[in-house]
Amino acid sequence: MAAEVVMPKLGMAMKEGTVSTWNKKVGDSVSKGDMIASINSEKIEMEIEAPQDGVILDILVQEDVGVPPGTIICYVGKPNEQLTEQNSSANELQAPKNEVAATISLEEPPANAASSKKSKETVLISPIARKIAESENLNVETIKGTGPKGRITKADVEKVLAERASEASRPPAEIDKAIKKETLPVAGMRKVIASRMHNSLLNSAQLTINMKADVTDLLSLQREIKDLIQQRHKVKISLTDFIARAVVLSLQEHKQMNSAYIDNEIHLYNHVHLGMAVALENGLVVPVVQHAEKMSLVELAAEIKTRAADARQGQLSTDRMQGSTFTITNLGAYGVEYFTPVLNPPETGILGVGATEDVPMYKGDNLQRRNVLPLSLTFDHRVLDGAPAANFLGTIKQYLEQPILLLL
Amino acid sequence: MKPLVVIGGGPAGYVAAITAARQGKQVTLIEQKDLGGTCLNEGCMPTKSLLASAEAYEKIKQAEQFGINLPLEQVKINWDGVQHHKTTIVKNLVKGISYLMKKNSIKVIKGEASFLTNHCLAVRNENHVEEIEAEQFIIAAGSEPASLPFAPFDGKWIIHSKQAMSLPAIPSSLLIVGGGVIGCEFASIYSQMGTKVTIVEAADQLLPGEDADIAFTLQEELEKKGVAIYTSSSLTEMQPKDKTALFKHKEELHELQAEYALISIGRKPRVLGLGLEQVGVHFSKQGIDVNEHMQTNIPNIYACGDVVGGIQLAHVAFHEGTVAALHACGKDKSVNYRAVPRCIYTHPEIASVGMTEKQARSEYGDIRVGEFSFTANGKAMIANESVGKVKVIVEPQFNEIIGLSIVGSYATELIGQGTIMMHGELTTDIMEDFIAAHPTLSEAIHEALLQSAGQAVHS
Ligand SMILES: Cc1cc2nc3c(=O)[nH]c(=O)nc-3n(C[C@H](O)[C@H](O)[C@H](O)COP(=O)(O)OP(=O)(O)OC[C@H]3O[C@@H](n4cnc5c(N)ncnc54)[C@H](O)[C@@H]3O)c2cc1C
Repeated sequence: MAAEVVMPKLGMAMKEGTVSTWNKKVGDSVSKGDMIASINSEKIEMEIEAPQDGVILDILVQEDVGVPPGTIICYVGKPNEQLTEQNSSANELQAPKNEVAATISLEEPPANAASSKKSKETVLISPIARKIAESENLNVETIKGTGPKGRITKADVEKVLAERASEASRPPAEIDKAIKKETLPVAGMRKVIASRMHNSLLNSAQLTINMKADVTDLLSLQREIKDLIQQRHKVKISLTDFIARAVVLSLQEHKQMNSAYIDNEIHLYNHVHLGMAVALENGLVVPVVQHAEKMSLVELAAEIKTRAADARQGQLSTDRMQGSTFTITNLGAYGVEYFTPVLNPPETGILGVGATEDVPMYKGDNLQRRNVLPLSLTFDHRVLDGAPAANFLGTIKQYLEQPILLLL
Repeated sequence: MKPLVVIGGGPAGYVAAITAARQGKQVTLIEQKDLGGTCLNEGCMPTKSLLASAEAYEKIKQAEQFGINLPLEQVKINWDGVQHHKTTIVKNLVKGISYLMKKNSIKVIKGEASFLTNHCLAVRNENHVEEIEAEQFIIAAGSEPASLPFAPFDGKWIIHSKQAMSLPAIPSSLLIVGGGVIGCEFASIYSQMGTKVTIVEAADQLLPGEDADIAFTLQEELEKKGVAIYTSSSLTEMQPKDKTALFKHKEELHELQAEYALISIGRKPRVLGLGLEQVGVHFSKQGIDVNEHMQTNIPNIYACGDVVGGIQLAHVAFHEGTVAALHACGKDKSVNYRAVPRCIYTHPEIASVGMTEKQARSEYGDIRVGEFSFTANGKAMIANESVGKVKVIVEPQFNEIIGLSIVGSYATELIGQGTIMMHGELTTDIMEDFIAAHPTLSEAIHEALLQSAGQAVHS
């Protein structure tokens, strides 16, 4: 019996998911566990695996079309198996019976030699065209075939080579060619990030201000208490956790920054859902620590660790990525000082954290060695002006410079 | 349904008409003579029928070799019988086309068509002129024999191919001017029937489009049958009165008398009289200009077959007719000349596809050639047909099969294998493992392929 593969529900709040790429086409054979599609929902991208051995009998959802969770996206069954009426009407009923929950894995698809070879073999191409393409390192899957049933002919390959040659012969082509070779498709998570970030800049009035906080005392406090906290709470407390706590406290004092600009209205929040940007190998996700205002420093640290780990393992559900009221992004690990973070819409502010630096600094008349932390705050000028934003950043600075307040 | 009119009922025209009708078009076909065009009435079919008679005669004369005793002196050709066989076949085939026209609801109008505007034709039939309007047109008016400027056809002594196939009797002697496909086919037919044939050819070999070694095999066989062949020779004068021709061979002037002089120096596209100038369709002496969809510069007018020049063969006309009709019906179809077989129905037959060795050398420089002779092929020996060979041309970098030439019995059937290999763009390494039935003539193809890779078993 053909297995129905459905759009998974990745969280309570998920309303829609999109197949960003089909890795297989109708008629391709698959083994259980083969990646058949990438899907995305909100900021998360996931791989869908084949639930059983067989062939892709039908694909019901085209790439880039959003569908509700539970929608059948494809069938996997025996070659030539007929889909029953029950099968084909399942989507309309919205209550698929023989649903096989799609297995999801966020990991990079394993370099499954067998399955990638298979898809290569299904490209219709003449023997000589294949040989020429291989000798020239052309990806046959990107060549348009003009032969019978779209078969790629020698002429088609030669056309691509001729185009490549004429591109190469154009003067700026040396660079051009190098860039072209590295072209990556904007799909899946990249596509989501690209459009969100672009829209963010298009649809708000962003301004970034910078300030540095002297975190020398904070760092020594961290050193003092970290082993204790590790022993007691099994949490390794980091500078980020202190910064997060400082931000939460500051947001409560500066409600305008803990807000969102939606449909020409400013929504001020009492709760703080703190977004923490986490870099992944192939993109960026922002897990959300909900109700951070109710957490102690240690609780906050523990929650941040769990969410970040979830994100890296691809186990974040979409409702754990939604609803943030303010975001922190940290590029300190990369040696960056100040930068201009891009707002995570519809939020009003985002704090960029740079790398701490040892600097000589006068304390009174004494020149001392101090650790300073560069902070960059981007905010939406439609919501608030420079002065209140500076006040907010100043409050963060104060908390960081008097770290004892963060423990209270 | 938008009406479409096809001009000409030859291979290009009738196939175009049927294809368009099957696409749901209302189709009218105009033909001034008989359906089937040159191919059926005065080309492929009648010549092949005459060749079949000549070959049957030839075979019967070999009866003894096969262990059959016959009173050989009584074996004679009955020319009327030969003509009857030919006309019966032609009639049946023409009837077949008429039937196809009816079956596909194609209206056939007899008459000669010429354009008045790009949506209207005048169709002349004796004294009657009818105007026919249509949305689209497909011109498939074919070609006609080219004549020598100083020797126009008179139908009595200076004749063209159509006349040569319906002579009142087997001629005692025949001069053939032009050693191309048609000339060689007639030389083969009549020499086997006992006519003293002389060929005068301007190029330095017979069949200038084929490799010299292939053409030379035919030349030797024709010479064995008494054909006198003068290559690098040019005709200088024709004297119908005393049926004498003068030609120059190696600076020497020759005089030759023959009962008939067949001029087979090529065919010219029938571009005049169609009113093409009237509607602004671009054309030249070489044919009507078309794009890859067989569309002329006037978008609702297509042209296909011999009338566009290019390769003047019936199967190319079929393909072009199909493409023209499908494109006229809104299908994105282009012509595909990837692998066009060329067949010469002489004895021995010659057939080739793709490049000749000469063309391949000039294009690729170094190439690999595999050859296998029918003298080492069992089936050919059994049939007493061991003259000839298979030659395969392979491009050395990727082992692509880029040409196949066959001279020998059934070459025109065997070439289908080469056509498939070339159409499929196959390489010799794919073909090495292929199993050819034994005993067959096909084995020679396999051996030639193996030889190109240095692995031949039987040579
Ligand atoms: C002796 C000989 C042997 C041949 N042998 C072979 C062979 O073995 N294999 C092969 O593939 N090819 C062979 N050919 C070539 C083949 O016959 C032609 O390539 C083929 O017939 C071309 O088809 P066509 O439809 O383009 O033109 P044609 O067959 O010439 O048909 C054109 C038709 O249009 C009609 N017509 C022309 N003008 C008008 C008009 N104004 N109004 C109405 N009707 C018009 C003509 O009467 C004719 O019937 C041979 C040719 C000759 C002469």
